[in-house]
Amino acid sequence: MHCQTTGSWGSYMPTPRTSVGDPLERIERLASENAVVIFSISSCCMCHAIKRLFCGMGVNPTVYELDEDPRGKDMEKALVRLLGTSPPVPVVFIGGKLVGAMDRVMASHINGTLVPLLKQAGALWL
Amino acid sequence: MANHHIPYALLHGMNVPTSFINQEGSAFDFGELEEAIVLQGAKANLLTGRTAATLEMFPSWPMRYQQTPGSSKSGGESTDSGSALNTISSKTENQFEPDSPISKKASSSYHQAFDQQNLQQQQQQQEMASDPSRTGTSLNQSAPIVKPLQEKKRASTSEKQLDAKTLRRLAQNREAAKKSRLRKKAYVQQLESSRIKLTQLEQELQRARSQGLLLGSSGGGVGNISSGAVICDMEYARWLEDDERHMSELRTGLHSNLSDTDLRLMVNTYLSHYDEIFRLKGMAAKFDVFHLLTGMWTSPAERCFLWMGGFRPSELIKILISQLDPLTEQQLMGICSLQHSSQQAEEALSQGLEQLQQSLIDTVAGGPAIDGMQQMAIALSKLANLEGFVRQADNLRQQTLHQLPRILTVRQAARCFLVIGEYYGRLRALSSLWASRPRGRLMSDEQPCQTTTELQMVQPSQSHFSHF
Repeated sequence: MHCQTTGSWGSYMPTPRTSVGDPLERIERLASENAVVIFSISSCCMCHAIKRLFCGMGVNPTVYELDEDPRGKDMEKALVRLLGTSPPVPVVFIGGKLVGAMDRVMASHINGTLVPLLKQAGALWL
Repeated sequence: MANHHIPYALLHGMNVPTSFINQEGSAFDFGELEEAIVLQGAKANLLTGRTAATLEMFPSWPMRYQQTPGSSKSGGESTDSGSALNTISSKTENQFEPDSPISKKASSSYHQAFDQQNLQQQQQQQEMASDPSRTGTSLNQSAPIVKPLQEKKRASTSEKQLDAKTLRRLAQNREAAKKSRLRKKAYVQQLESSRIKLTQLEQELQRARSQGLLLGSSGGGVGNISSGAVICDMEYARWLEDDERHMSELRTGLHSNLSDTDLRLMVNTYLSHYDEIFRLKGMAAKFDVFHLLTGMWTSPAERCFLWMGGFRPSELIKILISQLDPLTEQQLMGICSLQHSSQQAEEALSQGLEQLQQSLIDTVAGGPAIDGMQQMAIALSKLANLEGFVRQADNLRQQTLHQLPRILTVRQAARCFLVIGEYYGRLRALSSLWASRPRGRLMSDEQPCQTTTELQMVQPSQSHFSHF
């Protein structure tokens, strides 16, 4: 799924937010569509680090750059609420389930739970 | 008694034969001056308590009022003043009677020390007490005073004769003057050597700072340390002391074959101890991230191998693997897997930091469209991300340490922590040895031998700083 630019929506009537789905729902929906989903901001260096981590492990994550999404701001807010902390990104979902931000991802990698999770989600083959 | 002081004219040497001035090299011997005056029967228009006058002569000293109420004063001391007006301090006190406000107000301990000596001396010469405050007049506190001339005035100036009393007084004056001169000389010498020592210390300090031996110096900058960094270093030093304690407990525990339960307790305590340093670093990162990132909180040798503000976890694990055999197959796999994961995480963080650096460079290098203030604002917001990276790096370190007891037995975990502690202790000792090795100013070939000797002589100590 990719973001549309604002321009392409211009010809439509403004749709009420509820029909588009509230941001959290959207997040969860997007998260469940792929094995590894990362919500990111293109200029964020920590997001870059987390992408490199997964790529380095041989995983091919699906990345949503919230700064390139018209609803990105709302989603960021929703993520802050979800995580309980700011910044909202990067945040990782594996197999549709929330893993967390960078610190949780690294902790799970160190304690050995990340790889099994990835395998379980089909993101990693031996 | 009236206060009699050196007339202004005399103070400024106008009417005084210059032969009496600087008579002994650098000493201005008031005693002999007075003698001259007496002998000449100079008529003094005595100014009383003109500190202003004296101030002129010794501008560096604070004004004090003087008076020398005379009778309790033993006669006969004159003080010399050094020719150097600023060495007056030594001479100040000779005249003052014990309860003179002036003597009490002596500003420096040196003055007081001299005061004491003078007072004693004065008391010895109490016989002159009947003379009105001969010794009282001091030009300003510090100046050696020419004797109050009042006695002369009374006793001799009118007669222009030297009676026995006067002679005796003059002799005592000379004695006192001589003693004052010697004291002054000693004092000045002391000052000189202190000055040299101070310069040396400053140089050492600068050198040590530039080598980063001193915590809390922004490498090369003198005294340029943020308060956050100071606190960080202090807390870190305290942590190191705790670390030594924990380590010796662990050592004892291992050698005394404690039960596994007890040992596990120790290991958990040690883990909490590590948690503490990461907590400290987290706070320090908020206040002064550069202090952490540049490794200024650690010893130079550790700084050399610094990764993102601390140790590199995969390196540490490598060290442990080599120190930890025998390991079971499962343990070995666990350790190697830990090392591998750590490496991947380190790599990811390094790449993220690199991107941050690149982005910062782009901002600071500036594009044509960006104005100065905006550029700075953007750069500042990018810098703010540094804290995140240091935090994540510390998080990685912390997780790695916590993982060790999970894959190893308790004894092995305890040994791990000992190995780690000792390793960094040695790095700190290395830093200190390196810093204190003789610098070959001219001869570089002498160094290796001397360094070796040093190594043999010096016990590594835990006196320096960090490994986390």
